Amino acid sequence: MSDLLHFSEHGLQEGALLFMALVYTTRIIWFLRFKAGGDRQAATGAPGTTPMKGAVYSLANIALPWGMESTRRKPLLYAQFVIFHLGVVAAISLSMIIPYADWLLESTILVRCFQAIIGAAFVVGIIRIIRRVGSPYMRAISSPDDYFSLVLLTVWFLSAVLAAPNDATGGEGHLLTFFILTAFFLIYVPFSKISHYLYYPFTRYYLGKTMGYRGVYPVRRG
Amino acid sequence: MSEKQERSHKAQKVLERMGQKLNRQMVGSLVACVHCGMCTESCHYVLANPGDPTYAPAYKADRIRKLFKRHFDWTGRVFPWWVKAGSVFTDADLEELKDIVFGKCTNCRRCTMNCPMGVDLATFNRMARGLLVSVGVMPEGVAVVSKDQWETGNQMGVLKEDYVETLEWMAEELEEELGAPAADIIPIDRPDCDVVYSINPREVKYDPRSIADAAKIFHVAGESWTMPSEGWDMTNFGLFSGDDALGGSVSRRLYEKVSELRGKRLVISECGHGYRSTRCEGPNWAQYDVPFEMESSVITMLRYIKDGRIKVDKTRNAQPVTYHDSCNFARSCGMVEEPRELLNLVCTDFREMYPNRAENYCCTGGGGAMSMSEYTPQRLKSGKVKAEQLKATNTEVVITSCHNCVDGLTDVIRHYELGMEVTQLVNLVANAMVIE
Ligand code: SF4
Ligand code: SF4
Repeated sequence: MSDLLHFSEHGLQEGALLFMALVYTTRIIWFLRFKAGGDRQAATGAPGTTPMKGAVYSLANIALPWGMESTRRKPLLYAQFVIFHLGVVAAISLSMIIPYADWLLESTILVRCFQAIIGAAFVVGIIRIIRRVGSPYMRAISSPDDYFSLVLLTVWFLSAVLAAPNDATGGEGHLLTFFILTAFFLIYVPFSKISHYLYYPFTRYYLGKTMGYRGVYPVRRG
Repeated sequence: MSEKQERSHKAQKVLERMGQKLNRQMVGSLVACVHCGMCTESCHYVLANPGDPTYAPAYKADRIRKLFKRHFDWTGRVFPWWVKAGSVFTDADLEELKDIVFGKCTNCRRCTMNCPMGVDLATFNRMARGLLVSVGVMPEGVAVVSKDQWETGNQMGVLKEDYVETLEWMAEELEEELGAPAADIIPIDRPDCDVVYSINPREVKYDPRSIADAAKIFHVAGESWTMPSEGWDMTNFGLFSGDDALGGSVSRRLYEKVSELRGKRLVISECGHGYRSTRCEGPNWAQYDVPFEMESSVITMLRYIKDGRIKVDKTRNAQPVTYHDSCNFARSCGMVEEPRELLNLVCTDFREMYPNRAENYCCTGGGGAMSMSEYTPQRLKSGKVKAEQLKATNTEVVITSCHNCVDGLTDVIRHYELGMEVTQLVNLVANAMVIE
């Protein structure tokens, strides 16, 4: 392994992770400095609906595609969402496994699993780029950050697919690309919309708490 | 437009006041949108205007969000163009924002229910309305109605004499049928009652039959009740205009009157926004801990039937009916099953409208839209979705528990020539009631 690849796998990643953690901490402190609004009135809605039930329902919403009309009516978009996010988890895991537990990748089955998941996420990334560029609705709501983040992730998925076997016999280019992209990704994320997962627990918790207190969550249909 | 450009006084004030209005929930909604577009087709404006992305909830939200990003969020401060952050400079910019927050969104919260991230556009759209109202930028109708509610305590400018006269007139109409003196049929300002009944000024002006029907129900149920001569308007234009000061003042007026009369429970007549404002938001706007119970008349009527205090014969309402859920009732107060339970007790052929409950579409009159005549054409166009929903029920009568929805639906029905009638639960219950 060259010094450059060693640095990319270790020093660079650790530095990028530290930077990300610092920015995230600052971000959370900034967010929590805004005072949370509260409800003074007595609860409404069916007996048994509580803020806690509402919050749990709201947080679990991500795994309840039938819970919202938008995901219920568009199962393909929901499936894309699942695959894309599994791809992110798999690629991040890979960036940890290669430097710290590379023996795991001696298993061809595991390597193929990583490649299948991340490869599928790459395909979803392409579909998402086409949708974002092709739909006038999506174009109207997109910022340069939206396009860039999506392209960045899609390219990163491709590099992860190539890096998964952790095989440098034919050259280190693909591994270097993956780790440099991962480091860039970690540094860029806190400033981009990709950091949405940082806010997700808060937004869903607060909405769920309010809607639970008001008896709207869990949603009843008929 | 360059940031160095001088900002108008009003635009400056809007930005300054925005900082004072932001709370954690709102900031969460402002930072968390990933522009996934999942909410797009949940909005009735989008569905009625195919091909026009300017009606998409996230697009509208971004007109407000860009201000937040530019002035309160670091990414937007450092790289505004990268995240589409922007500002307002001129009064024309504020007018443009006004046309979006008042004219293209009824704050119905349907997109909120469909956002995977939990972004609550309706909440910060209301905030943006409040900011504009604070510098005098608002539709003419909003200004007029707000002024009326500040001045007379009710949003239709009904004078006390006219209100009392209407109550007396309705009571007299019932004297013969109920065999009781008018003063006992609609008691005014009677202290120590179990129920103080508050209404929508629309009932005084255009629908006094609803007051008479409610009085009949209270009388037959043997309720100890009264109507206040002042502080009787349970509607609240502060909810629509985003003016928390108006919201708090109107709510407080009502709460203090009930306390003065030593009423045990405030019953709110059928009105989605009135119920939400009085029952849910008012204590927060007014910073007032309400010392008595509050409930919708839907729950009161249901209890009377269940407790056997009134008897009903549902065959008197034999025509097929459907039910329209008011957005404020269903998506902000969880009132979805009680109206249905009541409907099934007082009519024989209730047919659901689809989608329904918290997924129902707005009547088009939400968010105070009925008072903003400059946006009527686009409102009626957005009514196409509601019209299709109504038509599919194959009924001739639509029931709703909201006076605002009565007007919104009536307009849609007229515009799309559906030939349907709109009425409320109180009317059905009174019609089904057996008076021995
Ligand atoms: S669904 Fe939510 S996150 Fe997606 S565009 Fe709409 S508001 Fe933004
Ligand atoms: S609150 Fe209702 S009207 Fe406003 S954007 Fe959302 S769905 Fe459309």
